[in-house]
Amino acid sequence: MNVDQELVQRVQAGDKKAFDLLIMKYQQRIIHVITGFVHDPVEAMDVAQEAFIKAYRALPNFRGDSAFYTWLYRIAINTSKNHLTASSRRPPMSDVDAMDATNYYDAPELKEFETPEDSLMCVQLEQAIQQAIDDLPEDTATAIKLREFEGMSYEEIAEAMDCPIGTVRSRIFRAREAIDKQVKSVTGEEE
Amino acid sequence: MTINHLELVSALVDGQLTGNELEQALGLIANDPHAREAFMRYQQASDILHGYTRSINHNMLDLTARISASLADEPVYSIATKSKSTAKLFRFPENFWKQATGLAMAASVGALAVVGVVQQQSSGVDNMPMASVVADESPATLISQSNRWTVAEPEIEDRLNNYLVDHNEYVGTSGMFSYGRVVSYGTER
Repeated sequence: MNVDQELVQRVQAGDKKAFDLLIMKYQQRIIHVITGFVHDPVEAMDVAQEAFIKAYRALPNFRGDSAFYTWLYRIAINTSKNHLTASSRRPPMSDVDAMDATNYYDAPELKEFETPEDSLMCVQLEQAIQQAIDDLPEDTATAIKLREFEGMSYEEIAEAMDCPIGTVRSRIFRAREAIDKQVKSVTGEEE
Repeated sequence: MTINHLELVSALVDGQLTGNELEQALGLIANDPHAREAFMRYQQASDILHGYTRSINHNMLDLTARISASLADEPVYSIATKSKSTAKLFRFPENFWKQATGLAMAASVGALAVVGVVQQQSSGVDNMPMASVVADESPATLISQSNRWTVAEPEIEDRLNNYLVDHNEYVGTSGMFSYGRVVSYGTER
């Protein structure tokens, strides 16, 4: 059982706090998806909130036939479309494939809605992340790439790199710390 | 917060924890604001690597508090976890109940049709109440009486009469109470 399933079951069994972690985990992605439809950031956050509330209300009926994020993604898309319809704005013509949610990639249909500021920020972040990864020791860079880009489990990475799982875990942690530092330098959150 | 704790939180972001470690990490997130903040940072780093960059403009936004506040009045669920071993033993195909229901309905309709035909043959149609008498009267008369059809156009009136006749025929075969007669004949009967 993966962590999402565990959290969903906890919410279904009465642990409301477990839903907080699902929000923390997916809020960035959900807002990212919603801003493809609803451009105003404040409005997008309201729609995201509505989507999470709908998800909580529908959670007793969630049977785990699809991954939790795929299910949540569909709710977010529908909530965005309903929001646009309710405010008499036309939702995008082309539909967004739910498979985009599971593949971790962005729907190309949504790219067209990016503002120049968003695009500039994206480029700066990508450059900063690339720089952070380039500066990492080779083993650490390999571990984070296998995890994030290849989607390998710690066990698979340990096997591929011929090292203990604990080492994989700490390499990925160090890589994240380094990436986080670079991201902060771009977003102006540096301490 | 020790380095080990932060590593644990990083592993939680990857969904690579089970058992006691998962419990420990969830406990940390629930009780330690630093662990919570670390989770958000690592999750953000992961999201950026996957190209989820639009929301980064909002600098570490956290909707958790406002959503939790909105959910305060929502019910707490208490759905028991299913016993997987039992489910495996008696597992029907996914469409089983759908198909079974459809089959049962089709069988009921078929049986009803057979019974209806048999009844119709035995009783005949002569003794059925018919409303076609209404058609014999002129539209003007109907409007003036106003407790039957209140339509001035003969075409619509004819159509209504046909509906009434059809309805009464079905009443004869199914034994259903004739609502059509009640509304059409009103106080005259």
